[in-house]
Amino acid sequence: MKWKKLGRIFDPTRHNLSNGCIEFAQSPQTLVFDDFVRIYFSTRKKDTNGKFLSHISFIDMDKNFEKIIRISANTVIELGDLGSFDEHGIFPINPLKVGDKIVAYTCGWSRRVSVPVETSTGLSTSDDNGSTFKKFGSGPVFSSCLDEPFLVGDSFVRIFDNTYHMWYIFGVRWANYPNEESPARVYKIAHATSNDGILWERDSKQIISDKLNADECQALPSVIKIKDKYHMFFCYRQATGFRKDHNRGYRIGYAWSLDLDKWTRDDNNAGIDVSENGWDSAMLCYPHVFHCNDKVYLLYNGNEFGRFGFGLAVLQDGYND
Amino acid sequence: MIEMFKWKKLGRVFNPQEVKGKNWIHEFAQAPSALIFDKFIRVYFSCRPLPDTNGQYVSYSAYIDLNRENLFDIINIAEQPILKLGDLGAFDEFGTYPVSVIRNGDAIMAYYGGWTRCESVPFNVAIGAAISNDNGQTFNKLGPGPVLSYSPDEPFILSGPKIRKYNGRWYLFYIAGKRWLDNNDKPEPVYQIRMAESKDGLNWTKHNKDIINTKLEENECQASPDVFFHNNRYHMFFCYRYSINYRGKEKGYRLGYAYSDDLIDWVRDDSKAGIDISEEGWDSEMISYPHVLELDNKIYLFYLGNHVGRYGFGLAQLQE
Repeated sequence: MKWKKLGRIFDPTRHNLSNGCIEFAQSPQTLVFDDFVRIYFSTRKKDTNGKFLSHISFIDMDKNFEKIIRISANTVIELGDLGSFDEHGIFPINPLKVGDKIVAYTCGWSRRVSVPVETSTGLSTSDDNGSTFKKFGSGPVFSSCLDEPFLVGDSFVRIFDNTYHMWYIFGVRWANYPNEESPARVYKIAHATSNDGILWERDSKQIISDKLNADECQALPSVIKIKDKYHMFFCYRQATGFRKDHNRGYRIGYAWSLDLDKWTRDDNNAGIDVSENGWDSAMLCYPHVFHCNDKVYLLYNGNEFGRFGFGLAVLQDGYND
Repeated sequence: MIEMFKWKKLGRVFNPQEVKGKNWIHEFAQAPSALIFDKFIRVYFSCRPLPDTNGQYVSYSAYIDLNRENLFDIINIAEQPILKLGDLGAFDEFGTYPVSVIRNGDAIMAYYGGWTRCESVPFNVAIGAAISNDNGQTFNKLGPGPVLSYSPDEPFILSGPKIRKYNGRWYLFYIAGKRWLDNNDKPEPVYQIRMAESKDGLNWTKHNKDIINTKLEENECQASPDVFFHNNRYHMFFCYRYSINYRGKEKGYRLGYAYSDDLIDWVRDDSKAGIDISEEGWDSEMISYPHVLELDNKIYLFYLGNHVGRYGFGLAQLQE
């Protein structure tokens, strides 16, 4: 894989965002329409207690990604009611077309006492071409289970051969580490399948091998089929020190599969790394791969988990498949 | 037609405040659930040590053994809690309450509510499962996560499990939260009775319906859906209360009753429950968390009294 960086295409600090959000445009994910591309992302505002609340917003761009046509002015999806799994944020959102319908899988956040957060995956549907989404129930469609005790989220869903496939992450442990202010989590990528997108089957197995160590955190799997091969981009980091130490922060990893069952990790083939300087010089995270106008694109976040927006890269011809 | 139940109160069986030398049983003996052995009845319950400096409790589950010939004769008390609390961040980090047990071959299975603490609301609960191979003295969890977790129509507070097997199928009666009431920044949950079915006790299919209609108010809270089969019909005793200001006599827990021929459609008829609070004493303000036990051709009812079991549980016997 070889990507050509096209630069940062959206900087949230330069725009007025819905819900009074001011910074962050995290985990960009697309719906490609006939004459524009809608890019959803999570942005943030401060809660009354100073903690962040993540809200979903979007921009529409022309299909050459040269111009922002529209920025959502309204609430795309409401945060959950008191005590709900998505009361304190939705991050990320994964939109997809199913026939002539638009649905989205969301990662809902709610705060805990002994650890900072818990997450689960919600399902929502849109009746207005993706401008707003309504929730399918007030609870999650995909949550913890016997061998996935917490932090189920980052769901990315695609339909291949009439089966829904979900790649997602689940937490394997929370732990206190020296020099960390609050407990740190470790999470891994897993896979589930479904006939209807609502009831899912899973085996609770980590499908992407660790590269750094057993505490490696893997996040946001994004899968694309090119010819007869499946490609997964994700991000990974050390469990601790990742916010400030550039060498311990997120990078983009890569794996491939021929059968959607066995995945071979090959980060050397990810084809993208941090820049020498600029907005993506310290961190690369939350990749999203998609087809548009016969090209394959990669959206991603840079420094500080996307505080300063997202950039775009395009796949160069001649990659090794 | 169903005749009215008529229970004769036999008195309090167990007062946890009288237990010495076990700091994890300081008070409370909640949600009794019984298992029959040759010589004794093992009654599981949930108890609490003193609250921490912030006034917050954890809950453990344990048991006492009662002489089968005399259920007021306590012959043994568990040496230690039957379940460990969960690890950091786990769904059951702060409590394992309540617990419901059932034999499965030579093993004993336990289903329990696991408690975690939240920021905007006080807590959340999901249902865990554990297995015992030492006659129910200790249980090992089947996994670090819950066996029954949240879903679109059951967003939080899955608790109060009651595990049953009928005709080769597993049934789980439990409660699911519907909403949190703000209650002037002191949130209170609303929960009502639900059920799920399973072939193996591990993979559950939820019915996704409230199976007991409300009587007091739309936000009536229901708990402890205890089902037994008798005279060719399924019977359920449960408890119910108002959603707010329920910690006293007026709006606190009472016992309700429903029956069913198919385990799915239930007819509520509290007038047949046949038991109420006493004039005075340990169960004069509320009665809750019923558990029915068929033993030696008699039918008994374990239940909690005032302060939802702070002062233990008592026993009643069905009159012919």
